Amino acid sequence: MLSMNNVKKIFRTDLVETHALNDFNLQVDEGEFVAVTGPSGSGKTTFLNIAGLLETFESGTYMLDGKDVSKLNDNQRSVLRNQKIGFIFQSFNLIPDLSLFDNVDVPLRYRGFNAAERKQRIEQSLEMVGLANRMKHLPSQLSGGQQQRVAIARALAGEPRFLLADEPTGNLDTKMAHSVMELLQEINQKGTTIVMVTHDATLAAQAARNIYVRDGRVSELHDVSAMPEAVNS
Amino acid sequence: MFETGPILRALMRNKVGAILIALQIAVTMTIIVNSIFIIMERKELMARESGMDEANSFYIRSSGFAKDFNNQVTVQEDLAMIRGLPGVVDAIQVNAIPISGGGWSMGLQTKPGDDQDGVGVAVYMVDEHGTNTFDVDVIAGQDFNASDIIWRDGDRNDWPDQILITKAMAEDLYPDEDYRNAVGKTVYINRNEPIIIKGIIDKLQAPWIGWNGLERVMLVPQLMDFSAYRYLVRTEPGQRDIIMPKVEEMLASSNKGRIVRELRSMQETRDRSYRRHSAMINILTTVMVILTIVTALGIVGLASFSVNRRKKQIGTRRALGATQGAILRYFMLENFMISTVGVMVGAALTVGLNMWLMQAFELSRIDWYLIPVGMVVLWLVGQIAVLGPAKRAAAIPPAIATRNV
Amino acid sequence: MFQYYLKLALLSIKRNPILSGLMVTAIALGIGACMTTITVNYLMSADPIPQKSDKLFYVQLDSWDPNDPFDEPNEPPDQLTWTDATNLLKAKKATRQVMMAQSVGAVEPEQQDAKPYMASIRLTSKDFFGAFDTPFLYGGGWSDEADVNREFVTVISRETNDKLFGGQNSVGKTIRVLGNNFKVVGVLDNWVPVPRFYDLTTDQFAEPEEMFMPIMLKEELELPSSGNTNCWKRPDDGFKGFLNSECVNFQMWVELESEQQKQAYKDYIDNYVKEQKTLGRFARPLNNRLSDVNEWMENQEVVADDAQIMLWLSFMFLLVCLLNTIGLLLAKFTGKTGEISLRRAVGASRKDIFVQHLIETACIGLAGGIAGLGLAMLGLQGIKVLYGSFADRVSSLDFNLVIIALILALLSSIAAGLYPTWRACAIAPARALKDQ
Repeated sequence: MLSMNNVKKIFRTDLVETHALNDFNLQVDEGEFVAVTGPSGSGKTTFLNIAGLLETFESGTYMLDGKDVSKLNDNQRSVLRNQKIGFIFQSFNLIPDLSLFDNVDVPLRYRGFNAAERKQRIEQSLEMVGLANRMKHLPSQLSGGQQQRVAIARALAGEPRFLLADEPTGNLDTKMAHSVMELLQEINQKGTTIVMVTHDATLAAQAARNIYVRDGRVSELHDVSAMPEAVNS
Repeated sequence: MFETGPILRALMRNKVGAILIALQIAVTMTIIVNSIFIIMERKELMARESGMDEANSFYIRSSGFAKDFNNQVTVQEDLAMIRGLPGVVDAIQVNAIPISGGGWSMGLQTKPGDDQDGVGVAVYMVDEHGTNTFDVDVIAGQDFNASDIIWRDGDRNDWPDQILITKAMAEDLYPDEDYRNAVGKTVYINRNEPIIIKGIIDKLQAPWIGWNGLERVMLVPQLMDFSAYRYLVRTEPGQRDIIMPKVEEMLASSNKGRIVRELRSMQETRDRSYRRHSAMINILTTVMVILTIVTALGIVGLASFSVNRRKKQIGTRRALGATQGAILRYFMLENFMISTVGVMVGAALTVGLNMWLMQAFELSRIDWYLIPVGMVVLWLVGQIAVLGPAKRAAAIPPAIATRNV
Repeated sequence: MFQYYLKLALLSIKRNPILSGLMVTAIALGIGACMTTITVNYLMSADPIPQKSDKLFYVQLDSWDPNDPFDEPNEPPDQLTWTDATNLLKAKKATRQVMMAQSVGAVEPEQQDAKPYMASIRLTSKDFFGAFDTPFLYGGGWSDEADVNREFVTVISRETNDKLFGGQNSVGKTIRVLGNNFKVVGVLDNWVPVPRFYDLTTDQFAEPEEMFMPIMLKEELELPSSGNTNCWKRPDDGFKGFLNSECVNFQMWVELESEQQKQAYKDYIDNYVKEQKTLGRFARPLNNRLSDVNEWMENQEVVADDAQIMLWLSFMFLLVCLLNTIGLLLAKFTGKTGEISLRRAVGASRKDIFVQHLIETACIGLAGGIAGLGLAMLGLQGIKVLYGSFADRVSSLDFNLVIIALILALLSSIAAGLYPTWRACAIAPARALKDQ
């Protein structure tokens, strides 16, 4: 599903050159639920941006669903994001001026579906997250957990092969976090590949496989208990 | 492809900014379209031709004051001298100058009697060189010949027994007939005094540009035995500026008993007479340009602000698959929708202002096509103004979506 | 506290130089356009003789054609015939009566090298100078006897005095004009009423004439008529024929002290017309008018239509600029949500926030007003260039106008700032913090 080989990303300023990702290697198979963890500045956000085609990289190869994405231009990457990737953000990133219906509608419009299909998909995905009866509401009328559910509905409406979650429970209390995680598990079981970036070890533990990033490199750990203490800070 | 629905619903949640822009566009359109209309009207006024050879004509005023001043002799000598100058096509003594602002008018009527309606007409007293100096053609009947010309005494109000009139005057006197039929007919001046129409000239304007009978003119075959009058001189092309000072010098030195003044070209006369209109055109044009810039800057300002405010949202849209083109299109479309409301209101306001101007200042009704033209112009202004901010919005990197402030 | 707010305002203005600049420019353009047109309209319609504009009355008698009014709808002629004007002058029924007409005449200076020139002449009666409060540099007006006896006396303008006598006191000296020697009895000081209210029938913004002399000399010397002459009936031949005709070329002002006196004078002219009717004149229904200076200016449409159209358009222009400013202020204050909620959180009341932002708005308005004054001066220069000499006297800013400009700028910017300020005040103390 996702395959990164020797991916290198460098941030340059006039004075310093930072290797955000350095010979980054990662394979994620179809249907996996992978958690990527690591301390602040470890490069996990850079990984997320590159994996989500939000940023480009200097060298190495990145195959997404069998397609080499390093040669794609901005437009092609936009189209690919739209078709293959569903995003879930830490702060939900719902558009405050739009109703739940219109929020979920956003990626579907870029996909070019016709109105009837969009409507069906929006209703279906909002149904799935249990908010079908609040379609006309504005995000500000919902709790944080509900907002994140809308964001998940939005991510899934286009039936992407691959879900990219960035600290999905970071802005939620424990109870809400729990229900969001349950929802993600459920989605994974239906066959969607999920890569979740988090610094929360207990959250990461709920994923089938954990990747630990440090200094822009991967050190894979299957045993959660062996993770360094620093991660929890 | 076009997210009209969601844009509209999002706009409805942030009405104030949109309303402000729409109103600005509406009022701007109102001013611009009405200004363009006024400018067009004024340009039309200014485009009217006097019928003269304006580029090559000038005049000068002579006022005799000495007690022993002999008018008849002076006029004959002056005319012979001016006509003899190389480069002069022809010259006449005349009582008034077309489009200059001051002159004589009389009324002509087709039947005698105090209770008959008259048609106002401007009077130019000329000799047989009149048509050549004015550069007008006799298109029916006959021109004056030397024997037609009589002297008019300043203290007497007698009119000669024949005149030339313009085609426009003939048509106003005899609205139901071909102008050629006017030749040989008798009209009445001062209610009861008969005059025969000897000929029709093609076109010549009266002295008053604001008069509704601007093209109603009659030429009267009289030389003036007055102390003050003007000479109108027509020169060969390009000779005017050389001959003007010569004529002034010659007249001033030929007779010490008079004062010559007001040496003026027809071009200057036109500029003076139409100054008010050309000034209005200039002012309105300036207003339109500045106003358009102000409105465009306002749109740029508010759109930039709105882009800044929606940075995160734009990043999110990009992350969700919006291409740069889609973002650009979003802002252009949003502006187009706001502009549409603006130009709709603007169309109504434009008509309203025009109606009020018609009532208060006797302006005429606006040409309908100016309204759609104005709408298109304002749409374009909006689209051009929003292009910059929209491009900046499109350039917002998608990675901003994952940045947590 | 005010100083503190002022400091905050200036800081805030500095923080967004482009946005602030846009707002100041917008207000300046609006104020500049408005002030330019207000100035022209104000000076065109200004009361030229405020101390007695309600005591001077322009006389109109309807002596016109029985079949047609002089002007639609039923306007009496704007001038009088020689017969009527001299009759009213001789009757002396008002405190002062001023009969007048325009003429021209050749002046032959004494100096050898000076060429003769044509001077504009106002023929009038002795009350002209008293009725219109003309300032005198030397001497004064002429006497009643001079009017009656048709003496060759003249009052000259300061410019004429400078030209002919090098600015010396010329009272008692003579000028050769109209082929006769005229004795100078007075020299006017600078006197340029705007508009030239005493005669609105020709160029309303012209300067007063170069020479003034007794009106009865018109008959004596058979002086030519300037200005407008309108006739509805053919005059008889000769100069006498013209004077006795129904042609109008003469103006008449009377000075009346009170409402009763005005009523009495109105009765007098109505009776005069009735008397003339018995002589076979005045075939139209009674339609005589007494208009004071401002009424007469209105009747003669001293303020040009174009100037009024410009005035209204400029107000709309200002409206666009204000809408612009509202939008930009809204943008600016919304951008300050964080700061405002922080201030509210640390104890600022709504009123504090309101005052703070109102002061900021006022600063922008004031800056815009001052810049607008500069633009107005530029605009007035433009008017002068475009309209030429006539505009010289209706396009200068005076102190009142400067004050009007600043008040207009301040008021309009505060009006523009009210809604954005109100929105800023509505921000809850902690909301913005949480949202961040």
